[in-house]
Amino acid sequence: MSYDKDSHKIFDFIQNWARKHSIWVLAYGTGCGAIEIPPTMTSRYDAERLGVRGAATPRQADVLLITGYLTTKTLKRVIRVYEQMQDPKYVIGFGSCTINGGMYYDSYNTIKVLDKYLPVDVYINGCMPRPEAVLAGFAKLQQLIAEGKANGAQKYKENLEWYRENQKRISPHWVMPEYNW
Amino acid sequence: MQKLKANLIEHINSGFRDAVAKDYPNENRLDFYVNKQCIPSILTYAKDRLGYIHLSHIAIVDWLEEGEFELIYIIWSPEEKIKMFVRTRVERENPVMPNIDMIWRQANTYEREFREMYGIQFQGLEAPEEFILEDWQGPPPMRRDFDTEEYANETFFHRPGREDAGDVREEIIKRSREEIPDFAKKYSR
Repeated sequence: MSYDKDSHKIFDFIQNWARKHSIWVLAYGTGCGAIEIPPTMTSRYDAERLGVRGAATPRQADVLLITGYLTTKTLKRVIRVYEQMQDPKYVIGFGSCTINGGMYYDSYNTIKVLDKYLPVDVYINGCMPRPEAVLAGFAKLQQLIAEGKANGAQKYKENLEWYRENQKRISPHWVMPEYNW
Repeated sequence: MQKLKANLIEHINSGFRDAVAKDYPNENRLDFYVNKQCIPSILTYAKDRLGYIHLSHIAIVDWLEEGEFELIYIIWSPEEKIKMFVRTRVERENPVMPNIDMIWRQANTYEREFREMYGIQFQGLEAPEEFILEDWQGPPPMRRDFDTEEYANETFFHRPGREDAGDVREEIIKRSREEIPDFAKKYSR
């Protein structure tokens, strides 16, 4: 089989097409935003017609949905979950708390800017985002996947030291296994 | 109920002369202001002899201006239906309190929380050092002189705001040709 430019293109197109139609979301809610997920998944908004559905374990999931604020304690667990997920993997920051802290801008135990700790592909704005906004976020993620631009996992691999440094600022007693993929 | 209360004050004062009672005539509530050394003995006495077998709550008040913490032990008698508030004061610098978790085991949880959130040490408290906070590096966070915003600015990253962020209200007024009411003016930027 020859690996010329065109066959790569076709291969990537097929791969991305398949990936964008089977976005499995890890059932893991961190903040209050998780309450918007059931209406998104159930019959009224029915996210499964876009290929979005829940996955039980990190190893089966493609998307980590950070639903709302992240406390410093939850951050450790989220990082661990993220590192257990297998490629392809994407992160969606959900709600204004993940963007700039939201109403918890002066809280002593929540992080404010998520993309310093995990590579975020899509942010969904709002407090709370309505299910329509969530679906718009998923549609945006699908578009990015189709264009091959949703490369957060690649960014995480390449800049792992920078992410680790930021993560260890929050939790100095780091007892996590090394990230091997 | 007044009779029960008077009886209770008499009982407590016979054993603890320092205890100052404060009565709330129309409520089933009675306050006692005591020294912090009296706390284990007065609670044991109330539990074993007077039937105040239930520890409802331990509350804390941070009197920053007076340099003291006030601890309030709220105990309840299911027979007399009276709440007894046992209040005590402890200094804010290096506060040390007697431990009461041998009287009520559930007090252990409260004391761990006070140790972590207010920095109060309890003599002989056997519990792991960390309770709710993990990897905590700052001062006890629930004290009133702890500035959460300053701590958050030092510890966490912040996203800078937009340059063109303006007052939305003025734009709305331009469009709808209304005036800002006086009470709302002080909230304008």
